Amino acid sequence: MKTPLTALALALTATAAFAEYPDKPVEVVVGYSAGGGTDVMARTVAQFLEQELGDGASVVVKNMPGAGGQIGFTEVSEAAPDGYTLGTFNLPAALALTKDRAADYDLDSFTYLANFVEDPNTITVAATSKFETLGELLDAAKADPGAITLGLSSLGGNDHFAANMMQEASGAEFTLVPFKGASNARTAIMGGHVAAGTMTLGQTSNFPDDLRVLAVLADERSAFRPDVPTAKELGYDVQMSSLRGIVAPAGLDEATTEQLLRALSAVNENPDFQAMMAEQGNPIAFMAGDDFAETAAKQDGIAAQIWAETPWK
Amino acid sequence: MYSDLLHALPDVFAWTNFAAVVIGVIAGIVVGAMPGLSATMAISVLVPFTFGLEPLVALGLMAGIYNGAMYGGAIPAVLLRIPGTPAAVATTFDGYPMAQKGEGGFALQVAVVSSSIGGIASAFALMLLAPPLSKVTLLFGPSEVFWVAVFGLASIIFLLGGNPIKGLISACFGVFVSVIGSDPIYGNDRFTFGQLEMLDGINIVILLVGLYALPPVIDLLETPLKTDGVNSSKLGTEPIWKALPRMKYWKTWLRGSLLGIWIGILPGAGGSMAAFMSYNEARRTSKNPEKWGEGEPEGVAAAEVANNADTASALIPALTLGIPGTAVAAVMLGGLLVHGLQPGPMLFRDNPDIVFGFMWQFLFGAILLVLLGGSLATNSFARLLNLPRPLLGSVIIVLMLIGVYSIHGRMFDVYLMLGFGAIGWVMDRLKFPLPPVVLGLILGGFAEENLRLALRIGRGDPMVLFQNTTSLILVALTVAVVVGPTLKKRFIDSRKKA
Repeated sequence: MKTPLTALALALTATAAFAEYPDKPVEVVVGYSAGGGTDVMARTVAQFLEQELGDGASVVVKNMPGAGGQIGFTEVSEAAPDGYTLGTFNLPAALALTKDRAADYDLDSFTYLANFVEDPNTITVAATSKFETLGELLDAAKADPGAITLGLSSLGGNDHFAANMMQEASGAEFTLVPFKGASNARTAIMGGHVAAGTMTLGQTSNFPDDLRVLAVLADERSAFRPDVPTAKELGYDVQMSSLRGIVAPAGLDEATTEQLLRALSAVNENPDFQAMMAEQGNPIAFMAGDDFAETAAKQDGIAAQIWAETPWK
Repeated sequence: MYSDLLHALPDVFAWTNFAAVVIGVIAGIVVGAMPGLSATMAISVLVPFTFGLEPLVALGLMAGIYNGAMYGGAIPAVLLRIPGTPAAVATTFDGYPMAQKGEGGFALQVAVVSSSIGGIASAFALMLLAPPLSKVTLLFGPSEVFWVAVFGLASIIFLLGGNPIKGLISACFGVFVSVIGSDPIYGNDRFTFGQLEMLDGINIVILLVGLYALPPVIDLLETPLKTDGVNSSKLGTEPIWKALPRMKYWKTWLRGSLLGIWIGILPGAGGSMAAFMSYNEARRTSKNPEKWGEGEPEGVAAAEVANNADTASALIPALTLGIPGTAVAAVMLGGLLVHGLQPGPMLFRDNPDIVFGFMWQFLFGAILLVLLGGSLATNSFARLLNLPRPLLGSVIIVLMLIGVYSIHGRMFDVYLMLGFGAIGWVMDRLKFPLPPVVLGLILGGFAEENLRLALRIGRGDPMVLFQNTTSLILVALTVAVVVGPTLKKRFIDSRKKA
């Protein structure tokens, strides 16, 4: 966000005219229940955003769980774009929902403010598995198509897309087993009920002795696990991850957008914030404004393509 | 590991941390005692507020609430035949008849002592056996969990006694309700009529409150002039230490504790199934099974010991694997995540003081239950029965409406609850048993989800359901439950003839 244009916009922001914002509590709508990964991120961001907005600003988190996040995303998209309603945004999940059902929002219903977390998908087996490398697993899946079961957290999310993209890139065929949530999928892998699975790197991190991560589906190796190769290194150009950020309803005026962008960037640069996120096991991948919007558009395309080729319901 | 356990102890006695447990237990009893308010709800309301609290204050509150509510649910179950929580359904079987006989005070004392014993046993299991027991959880894949659910449903239909056909119809209704919402694999809408509110299925509390609380309230209001003052004056508020020698239920307590711990570590089933199984087993082995259901104190002991024995043990899979054994454990997991405590083996290595401190808090919560619960129940809640019936009935209705509304903060759920209430009233009049509906909803969803996962893993071949020892044992148990009572009856009949 260091283009001359934004610099100009920053300079033009008449402080006097907008000094009032925020003059009442800013609400951050979370489409999941309290205590989930997205909720914890929202609460952490909210705490630091209050400081950055200054002037005794108050930022409150509002949980609106239900329908896989849809109720919350819809709430944000339909709120007044006045800067007092923000929301957490999960990619690709939020946009995948617009493909497999009649959602009341789409890619263009939001002002994309800042993405904070990016957790790359992995291909993972149990530590006791006979598969030592990604190659061995894929060979087995090619030799007997469908014989290798692959556990994932749900259909229509990053795990499912990762599995699909991996199948396409390698020509292997898995039997996909969508558990209810990543923890159940992980337990099934550890218990040997499925042969392998895909989940984010963060979801594997607390089980170093029980799980073997065969590959990370990212451009570069993760700083958390530099020993694990990327799928790209192994010859399969597949990238998929779970992203979590903050959006506002579409049509937020430029001045407020700038003010929020500045505040959210400052949150990201705060070392205390970085430390707290690291403690929660949240890999930070900060993207602001247009970069975030571009990523969202790209994810929307992937979801649309997978939905068109292999609809999951 | 045991040195970690001792190392964590001093922190637990920091006065704020200890006060949190005390407040939690009291709040839990109150919440559990209100029809419509459940431990799940209380803790999920609490979780956001704990963000700014010290971890052990937050966790202590939650441990206290969980323990307190599992007992608190027994209070209206005994006094009014309205289970305060889903897990207290089995407590109504003998608790309410006891209250009608004027032994309500003793029933509540049995309940509090049994709850406390179950909680203590469960806390010890969590403290001493969490890692090995989590290995047991790993044995349970989709096909095994499916059989656990089928076994649970079969037990409730065939062992509860009464008419098995009516039981089966009730269970089918419960299973039907579990089907409402998006399907567990593809997310297709089923019976939602396009309502976004129905997409996540029917919350168990909505069903429970409707089915169980509305019919007794209607009964109360049908004969408004009668008061229950006669009963409550005979509540028998003798001090608890005087009542203790009358409780000789060691076998039932031991069996119920083990069953509760066992069911707690299995994904999904939870306290209500534990209480039913414990009740069934205790009755089956008792010398006077025909008296059960008419006010047998041991029935209350069996139900209450088991529904508290799954509290801490449900946290074993939650803490070690991230998969909660009960709905309450699921929201508690959220409470841990808020403090950056991610489940898994690393949790025990990185934050031993907090994790083991939390376990101690469970133990103290269970112990405090006897001290706080005994007097609270007999001295305050039991006096409710002195209220004129129209007042008592309206108070309960208000509590029901508030409780159900506060689950998601929407009127839709309240209307749904009233609908279930009408169904419950009709079922009650036609003598259809209500417990199978509750278990049908809880276990039906699990059965379906896991059956479909197992079949996917087996690529459509149903033989996958019979492929390992754990599954086969569960199948054998289910068969025994279904044909056992019939065989036993025939055996007795043939001996009579001979």
